Amino acid sequence: MRVIIFTWEFPPRIVGQLSHYVNKLAIDLVKKSVDTYVVTYHDSWIGYHQGVDGVKVYRVSNPVKSQINILTWVLNLNQEVERVAADIFYLTKREVDLIDVCDWHFTPAAVSLKRGLGIPFVFSIDSLEDHRSHGSSAPLNLSIKGLELLGVDEAERVLVKSEWMKQEVRRIYKTPLEKIEVVSPHSPAWIDEILIAYRKALGISPNLAS
Amino acid sequence: MLSWEFPPRTVGGISPHVYNLSSHLARMGVDTYVVTCDFPGAPEYEEVNGVHVIRVDSYKTPSPDFATWDYLMNVNMQKEAATIISNLNGKVDLIHAHDWLVANAAIGLKHIFRIPLLATIHSTEIGRRNGLHTNYERMIHETEAWLAHEAWKVVCCSQYMVSHTRWAFGLPEDKVVMIPNGVNADVFKQEFKKQEFRSKFAEPDEKIILFVGRLVNEKGVHVLINAMPKVLARVNAKLVIVGEGGMKDFLKVQVNNMRLAHKIFFTGFLDEQSVRFLYQCADVCVVPSLYEPFGIVALEAMAAKVPVVVSDTGGLAEIVEHDKTGVKVYPNNVESLAWGITRVLLDPSYAEWIRSNADRKVREMYNWSKIAEKVKALYQSICDEYQHGSWKPT
Repeated sequence: MRVIIFTWEFPPRIVGQLSHYVNKLAIDLVKKSVDTYVVTYHDSWIGYHQGVDGVKVYRVSNPVKSQINILTWVLNLNQEVERVAADIFYLTKREVDLIDVCDWHFTPAAVSLKRGLGIPFVFSIDSLEDHRSHGSSAPLNLSIKGLELLGVDEAERVLVKSEWMKQEVRRIYKTPLEKIEVVSPHSPAWIDEILIAYRKALGISPNLAS
Repeated sequence: MLSWEFPPRTVGGISPHVYNLSSHLARMGVDTYVVTCDFPGAPEYEEVNGVHVIRVDSYKTPSPDFATWDYLMNVNMQKEAATIISNLNGKVDLIHAHDWLVANAAIGLKHIFRIPLLATIHSTEIGRRNGLHTNYERMIHETEAWLAHEAWKVVCCSQYMVSHTRWAFGLPEDKVVMIPNGVNADVFKQEFKKQEFRSKFAEPDEKIILFVGRLVNEKGVHVLINAMPKVLARVNAKLVIVGEGGMKDFLKVQVNNMRLAHKIFFTGFLDEQSVRFLYQCADVCVVPSLYEPFGIVALEAMAAKVPVVVSDTGGLAEIVEHDKTGVKVYPNNVESLAWGITRVLLDPSYAEWIRSNADRKVREMYNWSKIAEKVKALYQSICDEYQHGSWKPT
């Protein structure tokens, strides 16, 4: 299996806890023989890097340096993410099985890649704008929620880390519960559960032995 | 072809440009799809003169500002366009983007499908704002620079814009191609009751001085209003101002303060056909722009056989030859503008001379068939280069 992970933070760039989580996810996927790519943002350390852990990382910078808010910054970065993901697609002879989008930032890229190249994606939610903004309905927050909804609607599966978050996704975005997978990072069989969720998204047998 | 406006959605000059260009390309056998923003009452899909027009959800949730709205609209546009290209099995030879307003969608599609991208840059932020003063303006400028950088070639509609974009974005000489904007002279042939229509705007003994354009600073309407007392001292005339814009209230206050409300008429936004009739009623059409990348209004007036008075700036300076196809005046200069207008209004034989020369020039240089031929040839040369390159996916 070949998976591309989209994340706006990845070591050495650490904004919150997502960075550490994605790092662990990528390393453990490699241990399970998944060909794992991470596409992420860095302003100065850009290009391709493969670590000793076997994770292949592409870092892109923003082609538009002057920005007015987080949203414009993110939306101008998406095309660079698409460029690198498409490069991986063509370099691997069009064999990319799945994209795992971590949080809302790169949902537009994932949607375009799905529509254009037929690469399915899962939307992994670490946190939601409704919680971060305390239910704000200011235009900026509404727009971010719009991108979360886009991700929830277009993803094959939504991955969350707790039962509570599963209920919250349903409450806010009216997502059918069958579409949401709970995979706790604290579960002993965590990475196997991730792989089972990936396989469900791809419509293949969740039995890892097969 | 990607454009944020297409008829009936018409904000500026890009809408008629894309309409005419796509129609003529389709007529020449180019299978053309236009992806654009939705508009109340306009269908999501229709065929217009053989062009497939697809209107996408233009993002109606409130957004913080225009630029953020535009980037969000691009998310929808790219999503729909990616679906269309995918349904065509990726068999699209080229993506043609018009201005930064569709930059993100166009650049994303280019990379996803590895299809060459052509960008027409109609105007620039640094030109519209006369410099870059805020992060907002810098952001738009850098988006334009990004589009120009990602494009295989950049098309500009005048020599002025070629040198301007080369300067603004640091483009090499061989990347920028000049293909002029066009005008369709046939639309001015329709019969109508001229006297009756004219009487809605002016008294029979008043000459009509026409301005058509957005009411923003760069279009110089305020200069034209300031020139009116000097014109009215010599000719009985009515200034008719067609268009909307952020400066409308300011301009109305200016007119009232000058006690000229009876001589200056703001029509607001007018439909296409009324504007065409109005051109044919006008005695002179004035384009007093401070910044003008091309100046389609001057070209439309020339095609409608109205003598033009234009600022000697930007693309206008190339369209009009002084004393031959129009009158050129100093930009942002009230004396010069008043002189130009009265010269045309007081000398009918001079007006007739520039009018007939202008008519001939428009037919020879600015007809859409010739322009679309040039664009088609450019498409072909880009596709040939692409076929021989290593970027094309195997």
